[in-house]
Amino acid sequence: MSPSAQKAKGWLVGIAVLCGIWLVQNGPGGQIVPPQPSSAQAFAAGPQLQPGSPVAEPMDRSEPVRIRIPVIEVDAPMTRLGLAADGSLDVPPDENRNLAGWYGGGVPPGARGTAIVAGHVDNADGPAVFYALGSLTKGTTVEVDRRDGSTAVFSIDAIEVYDNDDFPDQRVYGDAPHAALRLITCGGGFSKETGYQGNVVAYAHLTGVR
Amino acid sequence: MRSPARLVTGTVGAAFTVIAFGLTAAAPSAYAGDFGRLEITPATAPPGATVTVNTTACGPKGSGIGDANELDAGDFEMRAGTHKEVLVGQFTVPHDTRPGDYEIVVSCDNGKDAVGDLKVIGGGKPDKPIHDRPSGHVRTGVGGSVEPNSTQVALGVGVIGLAAVGGLWLLRRRSESAEGS
Repeated sequence: MSPSAQKAKGWLVGIAVLCGIWLVQNGPGGQIVPPQPSSAQAFAAGPQLQPGSPVAEPMDRSEPVRIRIPVIEVDAPMTRLGLAADGSLDVPPDENRNLAGWYGGGVPPGARGTAIVAGHVDNADGPAVFYALGSLTKGTTVEVDRRDGSTAVFSIDAIEVYDNDDFPDQRVYGDAPHAALRLITCGGGFSKETGYQGNVVAYAHLTGVR
Repeated sequence: MRSPARLVTGTVGAAFTVIAFGLTAAAPSAYAGDFGRLEITPATAPPGATVTVNTTACGPKGSGIGDANELDAGDFEMRAGTHKEVLVGQFTVPHDTRPGDYEIVVSCDNGKDAVGDLKVIGGGKPDKPIHDRPSGHVRTGVGGSVEPNSTQVALGVGVIGLAAVGGLWLLRRRSESAEGS
């Protein structure tokens, strides 16, 4: 073998090593992130209730105590949330992986208006209560047990994902003439430097009471 | 000559004076130690209102500084009022002050403190938290569920392994050809 051919093969080996290192560290699809909603789960033409889905009369106000989403095995107690100093919604304490929170300054789930519920997608130890929120589809049932003993039953109208810098406040937090529910968690892409790039938001409305 | 009746009236009057004086003297002692009375006008105010305080606790030609930090209104200046002996100060109730009782203190340079309570009531901004909606995104994750893609990591390790084998083979070939020549 000529020295030049050997040299070429040496380069080839070097390049292969670099490719391998790149694949290990950060190649395309190098991370497995929590499930994200497909564009088919977004609103087709602006926010609207799922056609054909029943709309129940709003309930009296009563604090939520537990949230259940059977298809993704969510069954978690609920805590009351306030606002952070910057006006953003506070989040439940992140050391508890099975805890969701509802915005106590707004309406409780089941009452007329927009009830806001947030839960962690993960904490430092791994997946948390709303890890699989992004895998839900339109029509999924969400149940909220309330202090007065009743259960509010919701149906999902859409699931969308937004960039942190482009969060649609009015669309998510705005008032509603019926009993609306929003489920929010972290999502979008993930970067080691800046964390999750966005939020996954599930929109639902009250379809029944038990 | 004074009539006995007048004498009695005079005595009673004097007695009243003494009692009245005793009462005024007793009033400050309701505050333990060196606390003097701080007059707050108005004593009940909504957020955004300007409140005036005055006190005689600092004494004639005295000076002091006001403290409204309990309602986050900071310190405020005390100036001599139109009456000597009276120090006057002003502060504004912050717009985000919640209804409740807040203690206002004036610390005099003579070591005395004057203390009074301001009652803050719901004001111009209606206290309906339901209209305080959240804004912006929520911080509901730190990435603890994000994992490296094991398939791809395995692929990368495989490529490195193959390169290593290839490299070793090349080195052997080179040393063999060096021996051969």
